[in-house]
Parts: sequence; C-alpha cells; structure tokens
Amino acid sequence: MTPGARPAGGPGGATETGAIRATGLAVDFPLRRGGRLLALDQLNLEIAGGEIVALIGPNGSGKSTLLRAIAGLLPPLRGTVELDGVPITGPDPRIGLVFQEPRLLPWRTAAENICYPLELAGWDAERRRRRLAELLDLVRLDPSAVGSRPFELSGGTSQRVALARALALQPEVLLLDEPFSQLDALTRERFDLELLALWERSATTTVLVTHNIAEAILVADRVIVLSARPGRVVADIPVDLPRPRTLASLEDAFVTRAAREIRAWLGESSGEASAEAAVPDATVADTTVAGAA
Amino acid sequence: MGTRTVLPVAAALGVFLIAWKAVVVIGAYPVFILPAPEVVADRFIRAWVEGTIQPHLAGTLQEILLGFATGAGAALLVGYVLARSPLVERLISPYIVAAQATPILALSPLLVLWFGPGLLGKVVICALIVFFPVAVATMVGIRSVDKRLLELGRSLRANRRQVVLTLEIPAALPSILGGMRVGVTLAVVGAIVGEWAGADRGLGVLINLARGSLFDIPLLFATLLTIALVGMALYLVVVLLERRFVGAR
Ligand SMILES: Nc1ncnc2c1ncn2[C@@H]1O[C@H](COP(=O)(O)OP(=O)(O)O)[C@@H](O)[C@H]1O
Ligand SMILES: [Mg+2]
Repeated sequence: MTPGARPAGGPGGATETGAIRATGLAVDFPLRRGGRLLALDQLNLEIAGGEIVALIGPNGSGKSTLLRAIAGLLPPLRGTVELDGVPITGPDPRIGLVFQEPRLLPWRTAAENICYPLELAGWDAERRRRRLAELLDLVRLDPSAVGSRPFELSGGTSQRVALARALALQPEVLLLDEPFSQLDALTRERFDLELLALWERSATTTVLVTHNIAEAILVADRVIVLSARPGRVVADIPVDLPRPRTLASLEDAFVTRAAREIRAWLGESSGEASAEAAVPDATVADTTVAGAA
Repeated sequence: MGTRTVLPVAAALGVFLIAWKAVVVIGAYPVFILPAPEVVADRFIRAWVEGTIQPHLAGTLQEILLGFATGAGAALLVGYVLARSPLVERLISPYIVAAQATPILALSPLLVLWFGPGLLGKVVICALIVFFPVAVATMVGIRSVDKRLLELGRSLRANRRQVVLTLEIPAALPSILGGMRVGVTLAVVGAIVGEWAGADRGLGVLINLARGSLFDIPLLFATLLTIALVGMALYLVVVLLERRFVGAR
C-alpha cells in the first residue's frame, strides 16, 4: 500500500469507510464550583467517508469538544457518535487527531515523536523505520529535522511532525483542531494546500476546525457552522468549487457569496463582536460585508 | 571541560588551600587542632598507600549504595502513589513528614538496636534519610506531568504501563533526579551517622579511631577528605545521569 492511501474511493468521492455520524449529541463538563457546563447539545452531523469538511464557530462553541467526542476522548452525555455505523466508545486507531498545539513529547526527537503511536501499538523497530520513511515523505518533513528535539523546531515543522504522528497508523479519519492557527498567513496557506494534496491522495475523511473563513472555503467540501454554546450545527454550506483547488480558486465569485453566508451565520450564532473575532484574516475578498443578514 | 572552566576551579581551590595554610601559620595551631593542608595531603596519601582507608571506604560505600537503592526505590513507588491518590496522600503523608522531622541522629541508636550493628542497620538508616527527598521530588514530578500529554497518550490507547514508562517517568525525570542529588549526599551522612551508633568498619569508625585510640588528627582529616570526595563523586554521578537522560528539552 502506498503511504496513507486506502483502497476504496477517489479524491472527493465517498468511500465506504470513515463515515462519521453524530446524532442528538450532548457533551457536558463538571465545573469546579459545582454544576455542569453544557458544551454541545442536540448536535446532528453526518460526514461521508472520504469527505473533507471544515468546522467553524465562535470561540467556546464546542469545536474542540466535538473533535474530542469523535476521537472517543469524551463520553457523550446524550446521543451517539458513530464511525461506520458503530458507536465510538473510546479512542480508536482508525481516528487520527492533531491538536491545536503540536503536543510533542519534549524528550523525544522528531522521528521518535512520529513513531510514538507505532511504538505504543507494538510495531517492531524495522517496521517503524519503514513507516517513518513513508511518513516523512507524506508530510514533506525536512529529513535534517528528524533528529531534532521539539524545542529546536519551528512552529510549522512541529505541526508537520504532529501531522505525521496522527497519520502514523493510517487512520480512516483525520481530525485537525485549528492546526495552522499559530502559523503566519503565508505559511498557513502553504499548509492548507499541502493538506489538500495529502487528502486528495489518501481520501481520508478529514475534519478541519478553523477560525478562518477563507481557509474553510479553500479546503472543504462543506463548511459546517456551529452555534454559540451549547454548540449545535446551525448551517451546512456546500462549497462547489472544482478540484484540485489552488489559491486562485478563492477568486471565484462563488467564494464571496459563500463567505458572506458563513459570516452571516456566525454573526447570528454569536453576535457581532465575536463574529468579528472569529474571522481574524481578511484573505477573502469583500470581507467588509456586515454579518447578520 | 576546557581551560575556561578548569582555570577558575583550580584558582578557587588554590585560594582555599592558601587561606587554610594562612590560618594555621598565623594562629600557630598545633597539628592535633588544625593540621596544615600539606600535612593532611601527606597523611591522606600515606593512608591510601598503607591501605588504612580502603576497607573502611568499602564498608561505607556498600552501606551507601544499598541504602540509596532501597530508599530511592521505595521512594519512587510511594511518591508515585502519593501523586496519583489524594486519599493515600492524606492518610500517610503526616507519618512521612513526622519521620523526616525526627533527626536521624536521634533515631539511629534505636535503629541499630533493632537491626543490629551490622550492614542492615546502616542500610536502613541510609534508606530512611534518602527516602524523603526522593519521594517528595517524585510526587511533585508526577503531579506536574502535562495533562495534555496524558490526553495524547489516551488518544493513542497507551496502556497503564506505557503511560508510566513513556509519559510519566520521562516527564518527571528532571524532578526525580533533582531529589536524587539531594538524596545521594544525604546517604553519605546516613552511613556515617549509622556507623557512629555502632559498627566495626566504615569511615565513621575510622574517624572515631583517629580521634580516640590512635589520636592521629591528620588521619581524621584525611578521612573527612575521603568522605567529602565520596559525596562529590556520587553527586557527580547523578549529575552525569541527568545530562545523559534529561539534557536539553
Ligand atoms: N475540560 C473542560 N472542563 C470544563 N469546561 C470545558 C472543558 N473543555 C472545554 N470546556 C468548555 O466547553 C466550552 C467549549 O469549549 P471548546 O470545545 O474548547 O470550544 P472551541 O474549541 O469551540 O473554542 C467552553 O466554554 C469551554 O470553556
Ligand atoms: Mg478549540
């Protein structure tokens, strides 16, 4: 098997594995001063196998919480999350997760960090070495960086390492929690395009949480908008841009309309102030259009 | 180590020796009060050549190493449990603190009475004195492990053993080794104190001999020098371990 590739499906097309469905999902947290905080409620979401979707919403709307629930790290209070029709009850090797920060083990080199999931899964050294070579190629990690410790790596390189680690066990679903939000605008665009190339090759179901409307439109088949807390899906906007996409795709007239619609939903779900906060970059043309339509 | 570090170290040692010599000359102290540095150096070399120190050093080292190993080993286990179980911490930490607050000097006659004047008594004393700093350092280190790294481990389905070995211990290692630095020097103290409470061999015994029946004060100083060197050497071993396993992060 080629690196990261799975047999079924093609770019953008549905495959029979890696489908996610959340039904009536509610997740809450205990509060230190007693009581509980409802982070997600009544959330319904369906993502087909091989699809790539962007998840956008105001701060605190439960985007990270939703990813954790899908990753099996948080038990639902109500409702279910299913992977290929089977409820997710705990962490699953078919799901890879990239956290908002690289979250590398500081005492391990980049290569050892990438191989960490393989080690935990009991792969022998020879198999790990072979998989490492594939992964380095897949995420285009500079080979000179593999022996470095995390503190020596740039933000972008660290996030590549984190991505390679999430892909190590060839997951069917890749969850990315604002993975590029700490990168500068240019680096982020490059990472977006690389992520797209990666997805087009592997047809892994991909959920990208982002703050950035342009990033969401550039990457996704659909942009899913969450409401303010407790989060639920308030809009599901298809992005009908041809693939493969490039930065020029953002010049399509459709983009302006989609961005306006997304911004309107964000404004509605969070009020003007946080709608602005949720859209820090002005990469998309016509960003001055007001929120609540 | 380049000349940049060797030079200041040598200079500091030189200043210390000259000051020592000056005190002896100016105060005109007799050799049985404060022998001059060259007298001590001469006696130190002679004691080694004649084989006076070696058997005592061997005895003390054995006590230190066994005591440190058992004390630090127990401290790692207990420190881990204390960090992970608030209930256990509340139940047993008062006793640990109380044991630590009681001077080992006051406890050692009792311990020798219980465990005999042989090796076992000293090992127990060393282990007790090593236990506290290592247990506290382990507890603090394990508690401060980044929750986000533990979540990463959980998302990768690390089992209990893997969490301990690949996350908690490496993360807590700087703290644990810091506790061991303190512990290893205290182990030297424990061994000497134990030997004073009753023994037939060891550097503590040699000090008593030199001060008492032999009345050889330069030998007393040569023994003190040996004890200091042992402490420094053991400390250095921990520092080197730290360099090797912690290094830059
Ligand atoms: N472990 C937790 N304990 C308590 N509250 C939490 C926890 N994690 C998240 N929350 C709360 O749940 C809400 C949703 O958080 P999160 O999913 O991180 O939002 P987002 O990623 O959309 O910014 C926030 O109000 C947050 O404070
Ligand atoms: Mg978040």
